[in-house]
Amino acid sequence: MMESLRVITETILQEAKKSAESIIQEAQESVEAMLEKQRQLGIQRANELIPSILKKAESEAGFNKLSIMANAKIKANWAVLSEKERWIAAVLNEAKNMLRIFTQSKEYLPILEKLIAEACIILGGEELEVLLNEHDSTLQLELDKLAKEIGEKNGSKTKLRLSEEKIEVIGGAVVATMNGKVVMDNTFDDIIRRREKDLRFKIAKILFE
Amino acid sequence: MLVLLEVFKAIKEKNLETKKIINEANAQAEKIKKEAEKKALSLYEEAYELTLSQAEQKAKELKRKAAKEAERELSEILSHGDEQAKEIATKARKNFEKAVNAVLNEILQ
Repeated sequence: MMESLRVITETILQEAKKSAESIIQEAQESVEAMLEKQRQLGIQRANELIPSILKKAESEAGFNKLSIMANAKIKANWAVLSEKERWIAAVLNEAKNMLRIFTQSKEYLPILEKLIAEACIILGGEELEVLLNEHDSTLQLELDKLAKEIGEKNGSKTKLRLSEEKIEVIGGAVVATMNGKVVMDNTFDDIIRRREKDLRFKIAKILFE
Repeated sequence: MLVLLEVFKAIKEKNLETKKIINEANAQAEKIKKEAEKKALSLYEEAYELTLSQAEQKAKELKRKAAKEAERELSEILSHGDEQAKEIATKARKNFEKAVNAVLNEILQ
């Protein structure tokens, strides 16, 4: 009788222990499933953002590339333009040097007279003052003869006077009315300055074509 | 009769013991669930952050590749510019005197 009782109570106890184990195991399994579900949920939420992250990166990369390319093209064009500019400036400088040398030659005098005459005609003759650089002031200019020729062309009596004032120019002349109110600059320097745009265009055409 | 009473008493005692075991198991199960609930949020965040960080890494790689490609094209453009500049210098050197004479003719004509 007592042995049977021991078996019964032991069975009850064993079953209770099994139930307890099962309760804990179920809880653990349910927790693991829940944690895995949460992990997957985290991945899913992040995955929803990935297309926009990648799209943004692609767009930024594209923009950066375009910007780098545009800067490179500007830089390359700038290098080409700078080189052209360097050569155009060199031609203009050399031309000025050649003009300086030319002013020392005997061929210069008729040119200077022509420049003075042109300026006087533009000013309309009458009493005019001629301004030259230090060197040109020493040349044997026949201003009276020149004045006569100008007067004939203009139809008005012209009188020319060499100014004591010396100008800092390569060559050519500045002619002014006696009161100094009207001035005609016909120096090489000013001719180059006036025609610079056109000259640069012509130089470029010759140099680079 | 007395023996029977003893039997019932013993069974009752064991029943109480089993109840205690089950209660303890339930309590432990409850504790496991509560702890897991706390852990769930951090697990969610960890997985979220890790996935995002992998995507950001991919985005960085994408940008790096594009920058490298741009760098290559940039050097091609610059080198082309240099070549053009050299060609200009060659032509200019050849035509320099002609250009100077043209300027002189313009000024002295």
